This record gives sequence, C-alpha cells and structure tokens, in this order.
Amino acid sequence: MTRWSPEQVEAIAPTPAALSAARPLTTVAKWAGLGADDRAVWGSCRGSGAEPYDTMVDHVGVASRCTCPSRRHPCKHALALLLLWSAGDVPETTQPAPVAAWLAKRQVSDTGRSSDTTSPRSSTTETTPANDAAPVGGATDTPPEPVGEMPDRDRARDERVERMYAGLTELDRWLDDRMRTGLADPALAKYATWDELAARLVDAQAGSLANRIRRLAGLVGASPDWHSDVLAELGLLHLLAQAGRRLGSLPGPLADAVATTVGWSVRQADVLAGVPDTDTWIVAARSDTREDRIEVRRHWLRGATSGRWALVLSFAAYRQSLDTSLTVGTAVAADLHRYPGPALRALVGARHDEPAEPARPPAADIVSACGEIGMLLAAEPWLDRVPFTATASIAVAGSTFMLADAGGTLPLIAAGRPLATLLAVAGGEPVDVTCEWTPHGVVPLTVHLDDRSIDIGPRADDNFVSAA
Amino acid sequence: MRETAAPAVDLRASWDELVAVAMLGTDRRNPPEATAVIADVVDDTVRSTPSERMLAQVAATVAVRRAGVLPGPARSPIAGPDTDDRPGCVPAAADRWNHVISSWPVLEDEWMLTLLTSGWRVPPDLVPELLTRHRSDQIRRARAELACGPLAGWLVGHLPELAARGAASTQPDPSADDIAELPSLPIPPDLEPLLFADGDQVARQLAGAIDSGTLVHAHRAVLINLVARMRADSLGAVATALEAIDGSSIGFPLASVLADLARTRQHMLDELGRP
Repeated sequence: MTRWSPEQVEAIAPTPAALSAARPLTTVAKWAGLGADDRAVWGSCRGSGAEPYDTMVDHVGVASRCTCPSRRHPCKHALALLLLWSAGDVPETTQPAPVAAWLAKRQVSDTGRSSDTTSPRSSTTETTPANDAAPVGGATDTPPEPVGEMPDRDRARDERVERMYAGLTELDRWLDDRMRTGLADPALAKYATWDELAARLVDAQAGSLANRIRRLAGLVGASPDWHSDVLAELGLLHLLAQAGRRLGSLPGPLADAVATTVGWSVRQADVLAGVPDTDTWIVAARSDTREDRIEVRRHWLRGATSGRWALVLSFAAYRQSLDTSLTVGTAVAADLHRYPGPALRALVGARHDEPAEPARPPAADIVSACGEIGMLLAAEPWLDRVPFTATASIAVAGSTFMLADAGGTLPLIAAGRPLATLLAVAGGEPVDVTCEWTPHGVVPLTVHLDDRSIDIGPRADDNFVSAA
Repeated sequence: MRETAAPAVDLRASWDELVAVAMLGTDRRNPPEATAVIADVVDDTVRSTPSERMLAQVAATVAVRRAGVLPGPARSPIAGPDTDDRPGCVPAAADRWNHVISSWPVLEDEWMLTLLTSGWRVPPDLVPELLTRHRSDQIRRARAELACGPLAGWLVGHLPELAARGAASTQPDPSADDIAELPSLPIPPDLEPLLFADGDQVARQLAGAIDSGTLVHAHRAVLINLVARMRADSLGAVATALEAIDGSSIGFPLASVLADLARTRQHMLDELGRP
C-alpha cells in the first residue's frame, strides 16, 4: 500500500482554508475506529455534533464520504483523515461493512464511467458528497460537474443547482440521523431542531422543503398518532431528497414536479408565456391557511369541458390582500397557464367573459373520488391536498363525522361553523360537496345546492389580512 | 425488481411495524423485513446501513399507502330532522340578515319577528349562525329556535356546542307574548310624534331638520331608533327625502346613514312579506 504524501493531500483540498480547518483534527485522540487498507482509509471524528462524523476516503478512486453537513468536498474531516494516514498514524485493518458497501457501490457506478480517476488532482471532481445511496432505478447521484467557461447566467444556475444538491444531501443525512436515533429522541420536541434544518434548506434554495420542515415541527406531539404522521412526512422528505438529486434522470414532467416541490422557483412570466389551458373554469372551492407568516389562499378550479383540476394560489403577508377575483360557485371562461409538471398549480391568464353563476362541478361517489385522489397521489405522493367533489351524506362514529355513501366513508376533519353548516344543509340527505383530501382527513370546502354554492372553507383571519 | 407476484399484504400492519422501529431508532432495533410489495421497490438498491434501509422502506410504504387511498367501512347516514313544512325565506332575505347583523343590528329583532309572523323558516345554512349568535338571551334564543324549526334541536343534538347557555338554558321558556313583542327603543318625546305621522310629513320634517343643522350627529342614536321603529309605509318617502340632501350640506353624512337604514328596513320588510 502506497500512502499519499502531505502534498498530494493538499492538492485535493478545495481551498487552503479547508486544509487549515483540517489540521486541528489531525490528532489520533479526536478519532475512533481508524483504519486503512490498500483501497481506503476510514474513521469516526468527534465533532461539535452529538454524533461523530463517519468519514471514509477511497484513496485509489479518490472519493470521499462523510456524514458531516459540510458542503465542501472533500470536507475537513476527509482531509484530516488523509493527513493522518499520510503521517502513518492510521493502522492497517480490514474494512468495516459500511466502507465495503460504499466501495462496492462506487465500483458499480465506476464501471459505467470512463473518466480517469487515477491522479489526485485530476479527479477532485469525482469526490462525491455524503449519503450517496444508489437511487431507485440506479441513476448516478453525482452533482453536476462544472464545465469550463460559461456565461454568468449558466454559472449562477449551476451554482444554485449545486447549493440545492448540497442541501438535499444534508437533508437526507439529517433524515438518516432521525432514523438512527428514533422519534422518541427529545431533540425532536425542540423547535430549534427543525428550524435550524429549515434555515439551511432556505440557504440551499430549497424553500418549499424548508416550509414543509416547519410544518412538520408542528406535528410533533400534536396528536396521539404523531409518530406515524411525522414518520410519513420524513419518508416523503426522503423521497423528495432522493428525487431532487436525480432530476436529470427523471422523466421530464416528474422532474419538473420534483423541482418545484423542492423549491425551484419558476418565474410567473415564464408560466404565463406557456400554452394556455382554455376552458370554462368552475370555481369549485376556496381554502385559506396560514403558513408561517403568510396567509395562503387556494382556489380549486375544475374545467367544465376537460374535467381537469387546477389550483390558483394567492399569498398575503400581514395587512396585505388575498385574491377575491374568483367567487366560489361561479364559472369563468379563461386561459389558465399551468406550472411545469403534472402539478395542478396554475395562473389565470386572459378572461374571456364575465363570471356566470350558479356553477357546480360534477360529483362522484366516494369510491370513484378515492380513485381520483389516488391517481393524483400516485403521480405526486408528496401532495398535501387533493381536491374532489363527491355526492355523500353525513355519518358519525363516536365524535368523528364522515362523508358516507353505500361505497364507504371518508373522515371529516372539520369543526365549528363549517361542520355545523355542512350538517345543517345536508340534514340527513346526500349533498354535493367539494373537499380537500389531506393525510389527516377530509376538509369540506363547499356545499353545492341547485341554486347556489355555500363556501364553508377555512377563512383567513380578518385581523391578519386586509380587505381587497 | 422482483418478478414474482406480490402476495396480498397488510400495509397497515407493516406500517405499524415501521412506526414501532422508528420510535426506538435503528441504532436499537433493525428495520423489519420489507413486505413483498415494498421489497419490489426497495430491494434492488444498495442500502448499506439499517437507517438507509429504513428510510427507503418508509418512503416506499407511504407512497404506496397514499396512492391506494380507500374509503373506510360503509356506515349509515345520520337520520335527518323532522320535516318543516314552512317555506324557506328567499335568499335575498338571508343575505339581508347578514347585512343587518353587520351594519344595522337594531333591525335584527324586527327581521326575526317579521319572518316568524309571515310563516317563513330560515335557510339551513343560516341556522348555525343564528344558534351561535343567540345562545344566552332567553327571548332571542326562543325566537331563533322557532325560526329554525326542527333543524335547531336536531343540530344541537349532534353539536352540543350550539346549545343554549346561561339564562337561556336555565330559565323557563318565555311566553308567546314576550317572544312576539318588539323591544322598545329610547326615543325623545319631541320626536315621538314622528313615529306615527304620515310618511311625507316625517320625510319633510326629518330632512329639513338635518339639512338645516337642527338635528346633528349628536342625535344619531335616537334618529336611528326613530327610523327603526317608524311606520313601515313611511320608509320609502323618508329614504328618498334623505337621499336628496345635497352633498355639500352639513347634514349630508348623517342623512346618508339614515337613508341607508331606511332603505335596508324597507327592503327587509318587503323580502319578508307573507309568502
């Protein structure tokens, strides 16, 4: 086994500062489980976190893996490990299983490549970030490699992609820690645990995931089943983190959906420049929710001809106004411009006529409604809300009210005035009701009568938003 | 991917197992064996650690469970309330009630009593609002329950938070006379004759006094009481006279307010006329 020289280690440092940061870690006392063989060197470095960082370096293929949150590759732990090894302070032992698995995986992916990885300097870009489990479908998850000189805009975009990639990698590593330490870990009850991660995701241009993390923090301890709710959301975050790092290998529409869900913003002008989806759009429902310090209004529209759903969002910070141009129970002939991917989100473009009323969307039975919901969730399992309109009566079991017909039931999560209005209007009879499916139950938004529609969706606090 | 047919699996049970392991963490307990359907998705990937295998299983199981959303077991719908043979009031009257409670609450008692005497019932979507609004006042609660009909008791049976409370729940039921009596409003003696005077006379006197500044903003409260209780057939003439006051007049703001009240009351009584 030929050990590297310190100069070779210096050669792969991304910056001189990284090397300086590594030097304090080049004492054996800071490491546990040190070992090396003719292919790799590994060890666990005690850092500032509760858990040591597991570091491994393939000194033949020149790649590193570390569980630290650093976005630099190789990180200071990998550099310190190599410096220790070059100084002869790392004993030769047999590879532990995680190192062997990582190397095996690298071997598999290397067979699909033809790049030269033999010299330290020429192969620095081969250094892969941590947590590089192979994707479902087997695509590589190496971050985009910088390509020569390019226009500033492309460079900025690539930098942004790299930041997002690093953020998703860190998210997945964080999720992995949660799996290891368990949901009973008291750290989960501290908002800071989630907020710090959310802040890092914002830095990484993954703002939508950051919002999701903050919402997730609110689930901890919120119900007797919170462990199940939180675990499900962690699973979806893992799905998004994995998919987001493989955008290039996903089918186009799915890649678009993942990118926008992760937080890749699309300019409104670009959306409005797309091909319009022209129809008579029935304004089936409205729903307001507060997300952090922003009030979000969802208008659910359904094409009278196409039958397709669309979601028009509006946002209001404190004392700002929400969109009041769409009235539930009316229909408007208009162009909708959809965001990329299969997502329902759209912008309203040109309107071709005055709104007509009354208008009500077609209603399905509960089994068919579940089928429609399942189709949308199969395409995008991370959706929080899915609209449907069903003809159903109200049933009750204990304190839980539900939509019911001969095919089955769907639990309602309404309370207060919306539930009372739904009950009063339905009496004991079936009514057409537009709802949002959510993982926790069904939120009734609109009751459709022959002559009008009654908007019972959650409404923004008048003290927060101002009248339009 | 496995090519064997996936046996029927209880995803609920396998999810519960995953939750149990997730509570403890994979440092303490290994993830369960993936059930066939899930294994088809995750087994062809290289997962070097238990936590990575666990995450993959959790993600796949959530995705499959979500896409396979199914209704719960069928249940009988709740039985409806007894039928109410009275016709529902027109939608405009219900809209007017919303305007009345937000802008002219002084008219609410009259709205309700007119509805009752004319033989209407309130539309069902107004019932929760009425029951919530009148939970403590015994007489108004009694009127609301009469206006809502059998639906009121039925709804309270399902949603006890709508039940009467305070005096309305502990005192004996009010008499029919108490329910039917419109509460009196304070009106100064010098304005009392206008309550019963002919419409043109009231319009002339009221508009003249406001336009000249004899009646000013300080009289607003009693003037509102006057318009809320004057003869119904005077309302049109009074509203027209008040609306005619010039925008430059000192009395214009007060006249506009009273004209709106007069028009609101006039429309309200028209909409709630007998079916």
